[in-house]
Amino acid sequence: MQVKVLIFGQLTDITGVSELQLNDVSDRDELITALNRQYPGLADSKYAIAVNKQVINENIGLTDNSTVALLPPFSGG
Amino acid sequence: MSDRKPKNIFITGPISPSFIAESIQKHSTQKAIGGHSIFLGQVRADETEGGVVSAIEYTAFEELAMDNMHVIREDIFAKYPLTCMHVYHSLGSIAAGEICLFVFTSSAHRKAAMDACEETVERLKAELPVWGKEIIAGATHQWKVNK
Repeated sequence: MQVKVLIFGQLTDITGVSELQLNDVSDRDELITALNRQYPGLADSKYAIAVNKQVINENIGLTDNSTVALLPPFSGG
Repeated sequence: MSDRKPKNIFITGPISPSFIAESIQKHSTQKAIGGHSIFLGQVRADETEGGVVSAIEYTAFEELAMDNMHVIREDIFAKYPLTCMHVYHSLGSIAAGEICLFVFTSSAHRKAAMDACEETVERLKAELPVWGKEIIAGATHQWKVNK
């Protein structure tokens, strides 16, 4: 199982990429753990998580081909 | 819900004054309109600890931004008797002094256009997944923070 992770804004300074694939993460909490292991700087960053364009506020299951977006505070306009 | 579809609000590069002028001109045939309200966002040369901001580089989660803008548009049309609304936001590098946001509302009487314009600007700054990377003259950068 594979999920696509889209990274935006200042978080790309930490990851160096704007998109990556993660294998074998079955829910949001596992995804966060995997991301923090790969990019320790993310653990100290503030961001919201959207799964398939829906912002989520609790742990939910991820399915194959889910698209997860990491959204730091917006600063448009 | 109306049948309005999500529109692409993004323009690559700055929003030119001629584009704004043409947009105003296009409304001359709509004679039920009695008032327009326009907000223009301009990139400010902020003086920061690291130096002066020379440009802002905008990126967005475009698909989600258009979905969220659609919701804002529907809400504003439900709340105010508007004739029309147009919103454009720049992507890419916009130099200090250039226009990066254009919000244009029109109504029969001024109050609706003015209130709707203000509310749309406030909501889109808070709700659209857009990010501004402030480029400091001399090659470093920092990320814009909305207040």
